[in-house]
Amino acid sequence: MDDLLLEYLPILVFLGIALGLGIILLLAAAVIAIRNPDPEKVSAYECGFNAFDDARMKFDVRFYLVSILFIIFDLEIAFLFPWAVAFQDISMIGFWSMIVFLGVLTVGFAYEWKKGALEWE
Amino acid sequence: MIYDDLNIIFPEIFLSVYAMVALLGVVYTSKDELAKRVTWVTAFIFILVAFLIIFSEEKTEIAFGGMFINDAFSRFSKIIILLSAAVVLVMGQEYMSRRGFLRFEYPLIVTLSVVGMMVMVSAGDLMSLYMGLELQSLALYVIAAFKKDSVKSTEAGLKYFVLGALSSGLLLYGSALVYGYSGTTLFSGILSNVSTDAPSLGLLFGLALVIAGLAFKVSAVPFHMWTPDVYEGAPTPVTAFFATVPKMAAICLFIRVMYDAFGNIINDWQQIIALLSILSMFLGAFAAIGQTDLKRLLAYSSIAHMGYALIGLAAGTEFGVQSVLEYMTIYITMNIGVFAIVMSMQQDGQSVTEIASLKMISETDPGKAIALVILLFSLAGIPPMLGFFAKFEVLRAAINAELVYLAVLGVLASVIGAFYYLRIVYFIYFGEMPETPLDDAKSPILRTIWTASAAIMIFGIVSLLGVEQMAKAAAFSLLN
Amino acid sequence: MEQIILFSPLIGAVIGGFFWKSIGEKAAIYLTIVLLFASCFLSWIVFLSHGLATEKITLFRWIVSGNLSADWSIRLDRLTSIMLVVVTSVSALVHLYSVGYMAHDENWQDDERYKARFFAYLSFFTFAMLMLVTSDNLVQMFFGWEGVGVASYLLIGFYYKKQSANAAAIKAFVVNRVGDFGFALGIFALFMVTGSINFDDIFVAAPKLAETTLTFLWTDWNAANLIAILLFIGAMGKSAQLFLHTWLPDAMEGPTPVSALIHAATMVTAGVFLVCRMSPLMEYAPAALGFITIIGAFTAFVAATIGLVQNDIKRVIAYSTMSQLGYMFVAAGVGAYSVAMFHLFTHAFFKAMLFLGAGSVIHAMHHEQDMRNYGGLRKKIPYTFWAMMIGTLAITGVGIPLTHVGFAGFLSKDAVIESAWAGTNAGFAFWTLVIAALFTSFYSWRLMLMTFFGQPKSDSHAYSHAKESPMVMLIPLGLLGLGAILSGMIWYSSFFGKDYQVANFFGIESEYQQTLPKTKEENIVEKNNEKLEDALPPQGAIYMSPENHVLHDAHYAPIWVKISPFIAMLLGLLMALWFYVWDKKKPSEWASTLDPLYRFLLNKWYFDEIYEILFVSRAKVIGRIFWKKGDGGIIDGSINGIAMSLVPLVTRISTRFQSGYIFSYALAMVLGILLLLTWMIFAVGVK
Repeated sequence: MDDLLLEYLPILVFLGIALGLGIILLLAAAVIAIRNPDPEKVSAYECGFNAFDDARMKFDVRFYLVSILFIIFDLEIAFLFPWAVAFQDISMIGFWSMIVFLGVLTVGFAYEWKKGALEWE
Repeated sequence: MIYDDLNIIFPEIFLSVYAMVALLGVVYTSKDELAKRVTWVTAFIFILVAFLIIFSEEKTEIAFGGMFINDAFSRFSKIIILLSAAVVLVMGQEYMSRRGFLRFEYPLIVTLSVVGMMVMVSAGDLMSLYMGLELQSLALYVIAAFKKDSVKSTEAGLKYFVLGALSSGLLLYGSALVYGYSGTTLFSGILSNVSTDAPSLGLLFGLALVIAGLAFKVSAVPFHMWTPDVYEGAPTPVTAFFATVPKMAAICLFIRVMYDAFGNIINDWQQIIALLSILSMFLGAFAAIGQTDLKRLLAYSSIAHMGYALIGLAAGTEFGVQSVLEYMTIYITMNIGVFAIVMSMQQDGQSVTEIASLKMISETDPGKAIALVILLFSLAGIPPMLGFFAKFEVLRAAINAELVYLAVLGVLASVIGAFYYLRIVYFIYFGEMPETPLDDAKSPILRTIWTASAAIMIFGIVSLLGVEQMAKAAAFSLLN
Repeated sequence: MEQIILFSPLIGAVIGGFFWKSIGEKAAIYLTIVLLFASCFLSWIVFLSHGLATEKITLFRWIVSGNLSADWSIRLDRLTSIMLVVVTSVSALVHLYSVGYMAHDENWQDDERYKARFFAYLSFFTFAMLMLVTSDNLVQMFFGWEGVGVASYLLIGFYYKKQSANAAAIKAFVVNRVGDFGFALGIFALFMVTGSINFDDIFVAAPKLAETTLTFLWTDWNAANLIAILLFIGAMGKSAQLFLHTWLPDAMEGPTPVSALIHAATMVTAGVFLVCRMSPLMEYAPAALGFITIIGAFTAFVAATIGLVQNDIKRVIAYSTMSQLGYMFVAAGVGAYSVAMFHLFTHAFFKAMLFLGAGSVIHAMHHEQDMRNYGGLRKKIPYTFWAMMIGTLAITGVGIPLTHVGFAGFLSKDAVIESAWAGTNAGFAFWTLVIAALFTSFYSWRLMLMTFFGQPKSDSHAYSHAKESPMVMLIPLGLLGLGAILSGMIWYSSFFGKDYQVANFFGIESEYQQTLPKTKEENIVEKNNEKLEDALPPQGAIYMSPENHVLHDAHYAPIWVKISPFIAMLLGLLMALWFYVWDKKKPSEWASTLDPLYRFLLNKWYFDEIYEILFVSRAKVIGRIFWKKGDGGIIDGSINGIAMSLVPLVTRISTRFQSGYIFSYALAMVLGILLLLTWMIFAVGVK
């Protein structure tokens, strides 16, 4: 069990550094930064405009759709990358598994295309 | 080798391929015009696969190095899942098409969720467990929000999704802990690695989190909060589906994990399951009293019923498993009947689900009234209806396992719970005539289904129409 | 065939009771009558054609639970076939009679329909009674036993608008409960000791019971005696024997055909039937038999004395019934079961006839039941008069002494008295019965004289309008009259003839074969077979142990014994004539000189009053406590408390958490996790 845990030590170190860094940055901002607030500074940043609405406004649902579609193919890459790196070492089963996976993904893609999910208007 | 494995999961592959082919085929042809036909075909295919499983060889097979188990237990669950899913599909298509939101995706999403459930009940590994569970859940999130233009339906879908994600997280975290402390994700591996006497606290935490995740799926208190809202908000056919098929899968998965992976430390989880069971029974009984909406009431009713099913699981014996399987089969049968009646309720063409609208349907539709009364009596567990024997079996399992307090509390809860079922009966026969009585729903399919369901509640007492033997074999295969 | 006999009354009851609205009242009535006559006809075929062997017809399984197994089945032997004939015949005739009697009942409005219900009840009663007599085990018998109790309750309370009828119905039911409790205890005890409630098993075990000891009420008892007495307590309730008899006179509140069928001919004889049916057990319970004899003799005497002074025509006959039942129990108690059955058989005919005759009188007199208002009816209703005359001749036992020629009652009652003489060595029971016979004769003739002779005493209106009953009522009277005259003579030898005749009739292995001196070889063979025979129940419908010679001895009674009942009858007749014809002032003179005695008898030995003080008032006090304090205060109070305040409170709390916000739902889940984790920590900690 100890050996097993020892293998995870780098992760623990990594976590520690991340935690420490985060704390240091937050504290630094609080300690070092000069604070001189005025209404312009604290208002929401709205890309050149005056803020004319609450920041928590409704977005068009199509943004979500696009992002979800993006994530699916993003994840596909996450799978494909290690598969491609280890391509020489895996068996035919490994190869075909990925092909089936891609096939299923393609079915979904074909469906959403035909459904019109990719058209903005 | 791989071909053997593929052969074992043939039903699942078949259904997945069907779902994909049908999806592409229909979307590239006439889309929703075919929706009704697709639904019928899907139901037919479910029944076909069910028969394929019924007539398959009766033996225990293991595929993918133990990740997938095909034994009598999983076959029993799959048969019930497929048959009830088929009935619910047929039942709902009319309702949905009349109200104009039957799309061809509906039966196909249901198919995918059924595939997920089949993987769940066959899971032999924490990973395949999670895969099946997520496939099932994602499909359910979608159909909960299936009526896109209804605020309630989308709200139900969203709530279900968010809380479901939380529960998945818990389950995953629990699985990670279990993996960490036992060094494997295989159930058989966990079973042999976990020390019987003093399991480490980390493993027990993992177990508790896994139980929490699964309890969410069976909607056991205190992980039940989504149930009433989702049942009420989702379209009635979808609610009917939620109340029946996934419950079977979730309970079977629960049993599978508890026995296959943690069968050595029954003492450690028995009390927790008993606690969940008691909380569910009593909350289901009490909260349902205050409801005015039939679907919401049925949500609490299903919470209470899950509590009873968990009694059998808490017993931790082979007979306990058998009693749970019988309980679930009976529960599904009667709930299908009740939901068939709920679907038929409409006033001036608008579907209604208020309990009060049932007043005096004994006058307008005596046949339906009698069927509903039989079903309600059965739900309440009044002999000689089948529902009584369901409760009787789980209580007997508890007593055999020397959990007398659990059985006593179960009886108490069922007495309290009987109130709200009987109140509906009161409305049916003794309420005053409402101003606008329910329409005469002309639906031969629904009528057939609720009549059959009510008839089974009465005539099923003869050895549960053979289910008893199958459940016995299933429980045997799980524990040996 | 037996199934048809058994179930056709049930079919009639169900159709007539539940579906008369759809088939019409008339059709329902005629259906029940036709079915009953069919059943009656088949019963006679069974009775006349049935062989000696005991047949068992299993209808279907009823209860199987551990050792306990009871089937619905028909046990067909001589006892059953006698009862079949008695029950179905009287019932069929009463059904027919009721068409006339119930035609215009003043207890109901014109637009009220009551007849189909009445006939359905009658048919239901018949079914239950048949269930009782055909049973092959005690549980089925108990079913029939309670079934007739229910039917009796329904029919006594048939005029449910009358307060007194309701009270009488409840009284009958409650008093019977006492007896039934004893019966049930007897069944339990039998099951405890023998492990079975089937007759065959019990009969096989009877000899062993006689050697077993049971502890009951902190006392050790001989099992056979205890069980026999418990069963007899059941019989006492149903057959209105002393101490449990108070319901029978009140039961006369029911319509008269009901009194004829249930409270004279059939149901009240169920107790006698039970004792005879259990004869293989009774034979091993000498103390119980003694108890039965004493109770029977007392009942016969007490009922006869009360009958002397009653003025209600139906009550006189009711007390006469009770008295005659006492006769039957005496016969059974001394071991002459066949004689008990004989009297039961003949009594059914003449007592049903007397009741139906009385009904006819009441019908003619516009539901006037007080005999003091009758008189001189002989000319008005001649057929009824002759029917009643036959009944009276039969019950008082008119016949030619020392021969076998006479009315039915003559033969059977003499048989009872002779058996009593033989069984008690001319003891107490014998003399009681003879005196009771004298009283019987007196009150029977008193009834006849007050009703049919003398001057009309009622207001001239009722008298002048009195007219003979219709044919549907007279035909049953005629048929029963035939039975009252002939049944004794025809079946005398079967019930009370030579030993071998009786044995033949009841299918018993002849007693003579057993008592004949045996050769040595036979003895050896017998000894070898002993174990085998042990496993078999005694053959035949009734069982008389080899030591039981009562039947045999009764035939050799001296002549004074044989003619004593006849003399008693003559004395009674003369007394009646003296009191009610020759010197009409005598009754009131005697009543005033013997005032305490008169009132003692008129008030029925004050049984009701004593019970009122001893049991009823106390039971009411206890009942009130349970009702007000127990049920109202504790049970209703706690249930209301839980249902009206606790449950709604919990419901409110549990629905409040259902806020609709996802974050509160998630919070609940997190709290749940914390709960589970805490539990786990403690569970591990405990270890």
